[in-house]
Amino acid sequence: MWYMCSHATPDQSAWRPNEGPPVSHSGGREPAVSLGLLDATMVGIGAMIGAGIFVLTGLAVDISGPAAIIAFALNGGVTTFTALSYAELAAAIPRNGGGYAYVREVFSAPVAFVMGWTRWFTYMIAGSLYALGFASNFVEFGHIYGYALPGPPVLYALGAVVTLVALNALSTEASGRGETAITLLKIAILGVFVAFGLTAADAGEFDPLFTEGPLSVLPAMGLTFIAFQGYDLIATVTEEVENPQVNIPRAILLSVAVTVVVYLLVVFVAIGTLGADGLAGAGETAIAQAAEGFMPTFPILGTGAALIAFGAVFSTVSALNAVVIGSSRVAFAMGRERQLPARLGRFHHRYGTPLVAILASAVVMLVAVLVVPIRIVGNLASLFSLLGFIIVNYALIRLRRRQPNLQRPFEVPLYPVTPVLGIVCNVLLGLFIDWFTWALAIGWLVVGGGVYLLLSRRGDVGPVGPPEIQEPEPIESTEGAND
Amino acid sequence: MPDPVTHDLRVIVAGGGELGLRTAELLSDRGHDVVVVETDPDRIPDVADKYIATVIEGDASRPEILRQAQPERSDVVAALTDDEATNFAICLAAQRMSDARTVMRINGTPDELYEEFVDGLVFPERLGARAATNEIANGGVRTIEDIGGNVEIVEVEVAESAPVAGKRLDEVRLPQGSLIIVDYQGNRIGGPDTVLEAGHRYVLGVESDVADEVMNLFRG
Repeated sequence: MWYMCSHATPDQSAWRPNEGPPVSHSGGREPAVSLGLLDATMVGIGAMIGAGIFVLTGLAVDISGPAAIIAFALNGGVTTFTALSYAELAAAIPRNGGGYAYVREVFSAPVAFVMGWTRWFTYMIAGSLYALGFASNFVEFGHIYGYALPGPPVLYALGAVVTLVALNALSTEASGRGETAITLLKIAILGVFVAFGLTAADAGEFDPLFTEGPLSVLPAMGLTFIAFQGYDLIATVTEEVENPQVNIPRAILLSVAVTVVVYLLVVFVAIGTLGADGLAGAGETAIAQAAEGFMPTFPILGTGAALIAFGAVFSTVSALNAVVIGSSRVAFAMGRERQLPARLGRFHHRYGTPLVAILASAVVMLVAVLVVPIRIVGNLASLFSLLGFIIVNYALIRLRRRQPNLQRPFEVPLYPVTPVLGIVCNVLLGLFIDWFTWALAIGWLVVGGGVYLLLSRRGDVGPVGPPEIQEPEPIESTEGAND
Repeated sequence: MPDPVTHDLRVIVAGGGELGLRTAELLSDRGHDVVVVETDPDRIPDVADKYIATVIEGDASRPEILRQAQPERSDVVAALTDDEATNFAICLAAQRMSDARTVMRINGTPDELYEEFVDGLVFPERLGARAATNEIANGGVRTIEDIGGNVEIVEVEVAESAPVAGKRLDEVRLPQGSLIIVDYQGNRIGGPDTVLEAGHRYVLGVESDVADEVMNLFRG
């Protein structure tokens, strides 16, 4: 989840991962408010603690029982391996654009295309996940206050997507103000939940732990993996970060650590209070229903459940906003690199936003909201981020071998064990995602292959010439420097 | 060359000294991707801290190092170290490895044959000398552009007491080897009816051996 990208500069620079002063804008770059370690960390946490924890906890418990907490813990570990790789790459390659930019630097054009194509889809599919999560929590929110909202929830999901797409398409302002405050508010709401819940939680709910068998943890991990991504967004705001070579790696690792702790506490409380069966039955609104059981009534706000439902609605909307931005950013970057039609890489002359990239992303999101069930959506989003992370870890290994003299201000400890473990864990998780999700994923990759071939034929994508120097190890020529 | 509006360049800058670093900064500001290759380990942190380019430590004239910067997928290789022979070697190696354009920094009068081997020459000392001259003799004359050869583009303000002040251009005999390019408002190419008003500025192309005559006519 790329989140509120222009944090410090809510101007058009939000949309310029990689290029110069605005064409249609008089001012050029606005002086950036610099982000310290705290702010940079909040960018990552804000993107991760979005909708995943609210929406997917119930579904994960449904799969693996109380052992869902193990799934969250292990996912934290798996994420850390890849986060370390991101930290090294981000410190060494000063390029806005996150994973796609690094892979573009290391691999030949087709691999970079696969990376961009999967990241793009990850954000879009995550967007539909959050839209659906928003809708059910919004209906629940109304329900708590005694309003039965008319119509099926999917209408609210579509409405949320359309609204946020329109906001982001027409103005760059929506892309972020006061993000640190928003993130702190999210954490605070979960903090209240945990604080009251810890007194009420019963550790007995975790005995027996593996009600669905130990292996059920793996599909639960696959499902909830999406809740752990977003730290890569820190790598997209690099220009504003103070002392980036030190602070970006730190912020990436710190945000993962804080998020894992928050998740474990929340899941512990949720299972400990409502019990595995209750949570599983509550589905997407599980956390809010757990809160109903033990939270006191607050003045003005109403019941504790209302507070949590508000937190869920708020988080899903902000996360949805983040992925609308994130997905169009990837499409935009690919358009600029000529890996997608160049139109996607241009700003609209009037609105100053990458309108075509946003609309293209929105269409896929809307279709996904309409036709794909929420659990499949969660699995798909996780599967695609797994695939992307495998490529990122491999990119790290390859870069170490090809460019030994590259300056690496942050180095992954225990290389090559760490990135290899990252790849192995990601592959393992991917294998436990059901075949139907894989079929959808492969379908999307095939569509991508078709798009790529079509663009190559038209000459939009540079030809891949044979590398001229073969020794000691060839580096694929990518775009052809002469295009 | 591709459409510059939609295409960001990938540039290798060999030499992370003051010139290389500032060049990398300007390129990065314009949205291009830059790789800096620098030999001096003491200099590396200065370059890396700017966080504008990936940095490769080593001597770019060694193919093993240059290869790591991936010239084959770069648009331009700029050899900007302070050693001319090194720069020449880098450019030749880069051409062997790729189709990238090569830009080479020179330190003295350019070898006439350089242009057969490299695509662009940079002579920072000469540019610096122009700038210094502008600052030193800053009354009314300013070099706008050094276009490399013998001709200088200068902006000159016509002095009150200058011989040409108030005259039409067809009444004035400018020396062979000089040309008024733009009149004082900047919107007309100089022609016979251009009037050289005192206090106004004109852009001239001047060959260096008649520069003093032109200055005499315009400045008095």
